Amino acid sequence: MTRALIVLVTLVLAAAAPCQRADQRTAKVGARARIEQLVLPGPELAARPISDTTKDPIVLRVLATWPHGVADDGTEMHRYDLEWVGLEPGEFDLASWLVLKSGADVAGLPTIGVTVESVLGWDDIEPNEPADGSLPELGGYRSLLFGLGLLWALFGVAAFVWIARRRGDSGDQAGDAARPRSLADRLRPRVEAALRGELGGSERAELERLLLGHWRQRLGLSDVPAAAALAALRAHPEAGALLRALEQWLHSPEGAADADVEALLRPYRDVRDEGQE
Amino acid sequence: MTSIESPAESPQFAETEAFLQAIRDRVGQVVVGQDVVVERVLIALLTGGHLLLQGVPGLAKTLLVAAVSKTVHLEFARIQFTIDLLPSDILGSEILDQRSHEFRTRKGPIFTNLLLADEINRAAPKVQSALLEAMQERKVTIGNETFRLPAPFLVIATQNPVEQAGTFELPEAQLDRFMLLHRLRYLEPRQEKEVLRRNAQLGIRRDESGGAVARTEFDVLEQEPVGGPEDLARAMEQVQQVHVSDTFLEHVVEIVDRTRRHPQLELGASPRAGISLLKAARARALIRGRNYVVPEDLFDLAEDVILHRIRPSYEALAEGRSGLQILEEILAEVSAS
Repeated sequence: MTRALIVLVTLVLAAAAPCQRADQRTAKVGARARIEQLVLPGPELAARPISDTTKDPIVLRVLATWPHGVADDGTEMHRYDLEWVGLEPGEFDLASWLVLKSGADVAGLPTIGVTVESVLGWDDIEPNEPADGSLPELGGYRSLLFGLGLLWALFGVAAFVWIARRRGDSGDQAGDAARPRSLADRLRPRVEAALRGELGGSERAELERLLLGHWRQRLGLSDVPAAAALAALRAHPEAGALLRALEQWLHSPEGAADADVEALLRPYRDVRDEGQE
Repeated sequence: MTSIESPAESPQFAETEAFLQAIRDRVGQVVVGQDVVVERVLIALLTGGHLLLQGVPGLAKTLLVAAVSKTVHLEFARIQFTIDLLPSDILGSEILDQRSHEFRTRKGPIFTNLLLADEINRAAPKVQSALLEAMQERKVTIGNETFRLPAPFLVIATQNPVEQAGTFELPEAQLDRFMLLHRLRYLEPRQEKEVLRRNAQLGIRRDESGGAVARTEFDVLEQEPVGGPEDLARAMEQVQQVHVSDTFLEHVVEIVDRTRRHPQLELGASPRAGISLLKAARARALIRGRNYVVPEDLFDLAEDVILHRIRPSYEALAEGRSGLQILEEILAEVSAS
């Protein structure tokens, strides 16, 4: 008895199933809708390809197609499952978005009317009320940037003034010591110290370099490369004699003891720069 | 006065001076107008430093080195550096003896007294570094065995400054291994005329089979040496006896220090530059017949010793300043301060 009841219910449901096919002729903008088991006369149809250039208000897709026999007048028929999406509110005929499989337009289709509805009214352009939030920062982003920039500039100016003052102080303290001295000014004390026998190793080297510089300046060899200038000095009768004597005194292992430093350096005691002579 | 003292007994330089002068005269018979280069080669020989010659082809670099080696009776080898050269082509390798089934060491051309590394910048960096490592350590490891290079051992390398395509420029660290980098210049017209005159008189040489071949400068090199390795060793010892005053050391330190402090130099002279300057100055003094160094030695050698060890900053290069200009500026300051 029970088994017979189950079989009966199953048969009833199976018979009722075709009756539950979707037939959504009205949908909201952007929402998908389906029309299933739609029978249309003529050869098999397809959805019109979506164009990139034209902004179609409807997007139609053919989900499935079945042959549906022949009409009384001999015309073949097909059954379709369609899915469509409306992009603009209004009433449209889906038949306009169907074409032959070959891509050619088809004529004589019955109207497949659908309605696309908008959630908002056509003249409803008022935005929603903003949600409650925290208070904006004081002055906003631009004011914040301006404030930081001002602070940076003030700090920079203060730092610049502070550094300049420090340099000024140290410059004052250095005084005359920082002022460049002429070759003659530097040579005289070294000659005096040498005559007193008070020159150390580095001071002897400095004395020799100063004397070389003095003669380069005196013979106009300041712009000549050092090696060439030295060769020219050695070839000069007066400078050459001095250089050889100086080398004998400062560099020769035998000459350090018996060099007549007094006679060698006497001419340079009161030496003046070329412009002062 | 603190200084590098010479021995109590003053060295007798006359014999050595005559030996060095004989080398210069003999080389001068075949190489014209390269007195400075000959002096630099002698300085390198006497100090055991290595020499890099930079100059365009055709300035008698090979002839010069061959002449020096024959004059002092030294073994001479020449390697033409190319891109496909391998380290084993220079140093040597182990080869399997098919008869004894044992590895046998085949020493490379580096095992000589005087090695001419022609166009060193054409070889790949691994070959350059293999040579430069051997130059510094004066020994070579082949397989598991280490061999000492003969003494004296001197590398004279050349590089061409104009054809830079396909070359591998030696970095500063590698250049620092060369005691001297001398830039060869073209001859003066008078010297060039002498070269042509001598070349025109070379004539033809006939061999045993009766064939004739044009004689070259290499054919006129006299085979009899003016001295041997013993004379050279004595000269090298006497270089060590050349007196260096404390004042001279001050000059060296001043120049080296100024290259490190100069605002337009990105890289100053290394301590090795100061050592090389001192060594080279002592050798130059001996060649010039002095038993003490003078500032002239320093200023004459500064370009060859220091210029390849310094690097101008980008700002200086952008201003069109060269390393030579900056060095000249430093030397001018030192000789007038």
